Amino acid sequence: MQDRLHDIVRKLLGEGTIEYFIGYGAGSEPHRVVPCFVTSDHEVERLVWGPLCLQNLSKYVLQAKDLEGKAGVLVKGCDTRAIVELLKQHQIEREEVVVIGVACQGQVDPRTLEEVLGVPMEQVQGVEDAGDQFVVTIGEDERTVAKEQVLLGKCLYCRHPSAFEYDFTLGEIVPFSIDAGESEFAMVEELERLSVEERRAFWQKQFARCIRCNACREVCYACYCKECIFDRKMPRWLDKPPLLSENEIYHLIRAVHLAGRCIDCRECERVCPMNLPLSRLYKKVQKDIAELFDYEAGIELDEVPPLVSFELDDQDPFM
Amino acid sequence: MERKKLQKSDLSRWLDRIAQEHELIGPSEDDGVIRFQPVESSAEIAVEFANSLIPPKSLFFPAVESLFSFHKRGKDIELEATEPLDRDRVVFGIRNCDVQSLSLLDYVFGQDLEDVYYQERRARTALIALACPTPPRSSCFCTTFGIDPLSSDGSDVLLTDVGDVYLVDVVTEKGEGLVSLAEDLFPGLTDDEARQLQPRPVEMKKVDISQLREKVEALWEDEYWHKMSLPCLGCGICTYVCPTCHCFDIVDVGSTLEGERYRCWDSCMYSDFALMASGENPRPTKRERIRNRYFHKFSTFPSRYGSGYACVGCARCLIHCPGGMEITEVIKDILAKESISE
Amino acid sequence: MAVEGSETGGNGFEPKILMFACNWCSYAGADLAGVSRLQMPANCRVIRVMCSARVRPEFVITALSKGLDGVVVLGCHPGDCHYSEGNYFTRRRGLFLKKLLEYVGIEPERFQVRWVSASEGAKFADTVAEVTRQVKALGPNRPRRNAQ
Repeated sequence: MQDRLHDIVRKLLGEGTIEYFIGYGAGSEPHRVVPCFVTSDHEVERLVWGPLCLQNLSKYVLQAKDLEGKAGVLVKGCDTRAIVELLKQHQIEREEVVVIGVACQGQVDPRTLEEVLGVPMEQVQGVEDAGDQFVVTIGEDERTVAKEQVLLGKCLYCRHPSAFEYDFTLGEIVPFSIDAGESEFAMVEELERLSVEERRAFWQKQFARCIRCNACREVCYACYCKECIFDRKMPRWLDKPPLLSENEIYHLIRAVHLAGRCIDCRECERVCPMNLPLSRLYKKVQKDIAELFDYEAGIELDEVPPLVSFELDDQDPFM
Repeated sequence: MERKKLQKSDLSRWLDRIAQEHELIGPSEDDGVIRFQPVESSAEIAVEFANSLIPPKSLFFPAVESLFSFHKRGKDIELEATEPLDRDRVVFGIRNCDVQSLSLLDYVFGQDLEDVYYQERRARTALIALACPTPPRSSCFCTTFGIDPLSSDGSDVLLTDVGDVYLVDVVTEKGEGLVSLAEDLFPGLTDDEARQLQPRPVEMKKVDISQLREKVEALWEDEYWHKMSLPCLGCGICTYVCPTCHCFDIVDVGSTLEGERYRCWDSCMYSDFALMASGENPRPTKRERIRNRYFHKFSTFPSRYGSGYACVGCARCLIHCPGGMEITEVIKDILAKESISE
Repeated sequence: MAVEGSETGGNGFEPKILMFACNWCSYAGADLAGVSRLQMPANCRVIRVMCSARVRPEFVITALSKGLDGVVVLGCHPGDCHYSEGNYFTRRRGLFLKKLLEYVGIEPERFQVRWVSASEGAKFADTVAEVTRQVKALGPNRPRRNAQ
């Protein structure tokens, strides 16, 4: 697959079809796979594909709008949903970007892998996909772990492993699924069963820990506003000090803004340095949008988003 | 300087004794994140750790602090200063890179203008440093910036793990005071022990940075900054986890009748950081913002304070950057550029 | 900005409730309640908006997080919107926002949406009385401000 990726990117760059390609590249240490921008032929070899390609690169398509020409991007099935939403929300034109789709077989959660193996990621030399397990190289040793033990949370419930909106694909579309054993909304339902006081305590503790580094916002494909409401000075919506009230406003307004647009890529949770359980917030948003309006973001290009539309016979508890 | 030893099993007794007299602060895990925070007893302290996520600069220059509160009564305005500390503090487990970062922050908050909040916290806090584990975290590169991870420079007491015991270097009077709280736990070393118990050397990748400043200064207009800034997302993680970054904002929170003046961390990576009231932004894109950050670390800071570089090689930014930007790679790239004189 | 006076607690607790009323129906309903000299508690601060759809969820979240004790959005009955369909959007947003706020630990009574027409002065007075009673029973919204 990696060879085919190199061939396609070489061809696209050679023909002048794209100005640069956004893929995954090796970082300075083997376990660290980083976003990689390839502009010329000799850099193509840096591109990699494997189970540590965690980032949703669709976010970078937005800045490629500044280019005179096109950009190319590598997307997994889950990332494709961001491309679909960006098209739906008129943020990119389909012709502006060359999409290379890949059939993903699940991505490793480094934090979980460290726990399961009892080995820090910095000692991991590589992770290879091997059917229903991963082969992890640690020094001279190779250890195998079952996929369901170490997959990213979102991969356990993946319904779109392979890209479904693309110009080129790497190899065949291979089905992939894992029996996660419980509903994808189990983590939300667990909180819903608590009393309102217990939920308050849970979220107040989490919001209080937030340092407001804005990483969750900046990594989010849907945060493309030229001027974010939180950065506005006149009127000012949010005070800069990371006080509890301000942090709560930040996270709740973000959740509202993501309603009907969150595609469950969980990048916000992955990049959060403070380990805030943000997917518990955004899964709730997805659940409510699905239950109330029978809508899922990032699947159908011509579906109308729920909060910019209505039905005359929507339920009405407000009489 | 006096060298003693401490049985590992006695560490908690010593720390608990300290906690009776002072506020004890140590690396402690909360929801999977290690940070320096006040603890009730030594049981909450994580001894096996590489380094904290949030650097201990937050103990002296907090992410958010109230400077004073104000109340308007009729035509009078009452101001009430916030006391930075209730009592003296002891920080256990600080690494030497972070100790050295404090000596850099001392320039910022003490050289031209004295920041009373920072100064009081510095004066009333003792540092018990913990020498780095061997091998250190693979990303660490403090030796590149001339820092010895085993040095006691800047701390009050240094503990070095040499198997079953810690070597204890008592550096300052403050440190003596802490050791004297439980004198019987700290026997001196016999001559044999002094020979045998030696810290294991720390191996780390090291880069020659003697030309870094002149090379980076020659790069101001270089195209390099554009391409290298592409993966940057514009979040503030690198600056918030950096032990030497010290930019802040001052904000009044409240109404016109009453409220508080806060100081909180700010980040030069934010798009509104350099925004002026006129609407002009001298650093309008990621390219200028990133260039500014590296220039500040490698050129502006050393030239303003006559100090070393404003980086201590703790590798936090490199580990946590969601865009995978690695400061070690940037340094290599800068050094690989032909210098202008050649 | 800072909201004071909601910390008194106990029996003397007088909640501060923010009420958004649409210009064409609910605010006229409030007027009618006034000229009809209907008695109601004085805990609601009314802000007139041109349409209930003008009330962004940000208004509600900010008010509650800053420590107000309750927020009520009043609009025309569905079908009666002066702008034909504004309140249909309000209805969808209200449905969603209510669930989200409950999920993060804000009691459902603290955020309510009601339809009040220009002729429903009595309903306006009843709504004010009912919401005030409910929020009073809950006690002060958590003193969230400035907790660190």
